[in-house]
Amino acid sequence: MNGEAILPYLIIIPLFGAFAMPIVNLAGKKAREAWAVLISALTFIVSSVIFYHIWNTGEIIVYTLGAETPFGQGVDFPIRIVWEVDLFGAIMVFIVAFVSLMAVIYSIGYMKHDTGLDKYYTLILILELGMLGIAITGDLFNFYVFLEIMSIASYALVAFRNDTWEGIEAGIKYMFVGSIASAFVLLGIALLYGQYGTLTMGYLAVKIVQNPTVTAKVALALFIAGLLFKSGASPVHMWLADAHPAAPSSISAMLSGLVIKIGGIYAIARILFSIYTPMAHSIVLEAYLQPHINMSAIGWIIIIFACLTLIIGNAMAVIQTDMKRLLAYSSVGQIGYILLGLGISIAAYGTQTGEIALAGAIYHTVNHALMKALLFLVAGVVIHQLGTRNLNELSGLAKTMPKTTFAFLIGAAAIVGMPPLNGFASKWLIYESSAIFNPILGAIAIIGTAFCTAAYVRVLYTFFGRPSEKVMAAKDPETSMMLPMLLLVLAIIIMGLLPWQISDKVMIPAARMLEQFRFEYINALMSLVGGA
Amino acid sequence: MTDDMGLIVKTMARTTIPLIGIFGAYVVSHGHLTPGGGFQGGATIAGAGILFLIAFGLKEMKKAYNKHLYSALEGIGGLVFLGAAMLGIGTAFFYNILWNNGPILNGEPGTLLSAGFLPIMNLAVGLKVFTGLVSAMAAIALYRRWKS
Repeated sequence: MNGEAILPYLIIIPLFGAFAMPIVNLAGKKAREAWAVLISALTFIVSSVIFYHIWNTGEIIVYTLGAETPFGQGVDFPIRIVWEVDLFGAIMVFIVAFVSLMAVIYSIGYMKHDTGLDKYYTLILILELGMLGIAITGDLFNFYVFLEIMSIASYALVAFRNDTWEGIEAGIKYMFVGSIASAFVLLGIALLYGQYGTLTMGYLAVKIVQNPTVTAKVALALFIAGLLFKSGASPVHMWLADAHPAAPSSISAMLSGLVIKIGGIYAIARILFSIYTPMAHSIVLEAYLQPHINMSAIGWIIIIFACLTLIIGNAMAVIQTDMKRLLAYSSVGQIGYILLGLGISIAAYGTQTGEIALAGAIYHTVNHALMKALLFLVAGVVIHQLGTRNLNELSGLAKTMPKTTFAFLIGAAAIVGMPPLNGFASKWLIYESSAIFNPILGAIAIIGTAFCTAAYVRVLYTFFGRPSEKVMAAKDPETSMMLPMLLLVLAIIIMGLLPWQISDKVMIPAARMLEQFRFEYINALMSLVGGA
Repeated sequence: MTDDMGLIVKTMARTTIPLIGIFGAYVVSHGHLTPGGGFQGGATIAGAGILFLIAFGLKEMKKAYNKHLYSALEGIGGLVFLGAAMLGIGTAFFYNILWNNGPILNGEPGTLLSAGFLPIMNLAVGLKVFTGLVSAMAAIALYRRWKS
């Protein structure tokens, strides 16, 4: 099949690009830039083919490494690594490849004054590779390996400008916190492996349903703890507010747009829905009074963290004077919305409210990746042209950098959820479902948006003020930095014009596939028993 | 003040560096037969490189170490691993086509020329680990000065 044959190239191409980079680098500066753009463009093409295939056929691709079937000879359980991609995975793959391509193109202009760029491009390709791997894998340990590839590449990239004190400080903080979080995830995997003797997600789900032990609950607690760290949820968001401002802006765009979503949101959703199958625990086992894991309580735990994240992140964004720090706190706030949708979809599993909430969470993940990438690229342009991130020095930017200001205007309007742009539809789905589920949650979500609006209006007010002396000499950046911003603006506007079509055609099917009312994820794996 | 160690250490290093290197190469090349493999063997050989750096000092190391060569070799190690993994792409990624119907490397299990692409991958990983660790140590040793 088309989709299955092309899936490994999603990993092969960036891996080849990263390994060949030290050799290509010998040919000079132009060659390595062209190489990085070429590799990420090819990855983007592959990802679009995979996304289109899965969206079109609605099937779940299962790919086995090393043989034709994951099942060994004479045994009926999977022994090999499988990659399993459903529509949510395919959406993440697509958005990761797109934003990474934008970040790589942007880096050509943005990073040209820095040294050691062969390592930079290698790391950015490795970062992309790790994120793509997380999105496609169906094996728990393989997931951990890709999570670490992504995390270590992002530690190195946050501290890339190692001649600045803040780069080093943020890198160390991020590395210590992130390593502990990864250790939690690894401990959870070790517990599950010790208890159930398998690492394949689909098969592990079957084993947990047969025997939901305390070990499974402890492992779930460890997963949620570790992955909330990675997503920057509220009590543990402190690394994020330092890492995003200190990293080069192209990296901030990837960190904020992709890393916290793939390593946090996507991973939590995958573990909750594909390993702990709320269908089996909340509906089937509960109905027959069998021992089961109380998924609704798990949903509420996530909701509580989501509400905290939402309020704290957005409120902290209002009081920042550093532009990138403001955007970082705003990312924390938006992660709160996504977690709220995710939590409601678990707590209200099996109802239409839950499905809408999950679709909203997936939709907002995509939308936020686009708009936060755009906003960070704009912040990068401002730093590149003016050398400051302090909002108090940036008044009147609209006069001298009109295109950049326009891009920021679009991004800011999208993130607060203005109707003609893409943020509206996804936030609406989350508001609607949270208001139906529990009006207090709806009210908290609205308060978060009020803070978010205040923060962005403040920035825009500064941009449209009287030009300061520093701003008078500035001008719009070169093409390689303008182009990614233009493409992201276009994507935001086009997605904003078709909100309900995208929701009905892509996000609702993705949510349904993830909820697996008929155990689609498990069946896609187990249907291969006896094949070949 | 010189940055190398005394005569005894240097003489001992001259005799042990080849032995460590040979033992590391043994561990790498027998990765599919005995405990150890690419990473362990590569780290052992890197130990020889670090002994060289410590015993003979930074000045000698600068003469022997070429940054571009080592990073290119590290890339080649990765590429060889990826290439071996892709040989059986017609069936699946990482399909061991050399074991199932390859030339040479499908001998009797337990002999050196068996296990399909595993020896190739061990060599590649060994090369990558050796060059990577030596590069990292050399970069740390070369790191500017104690004060700023």
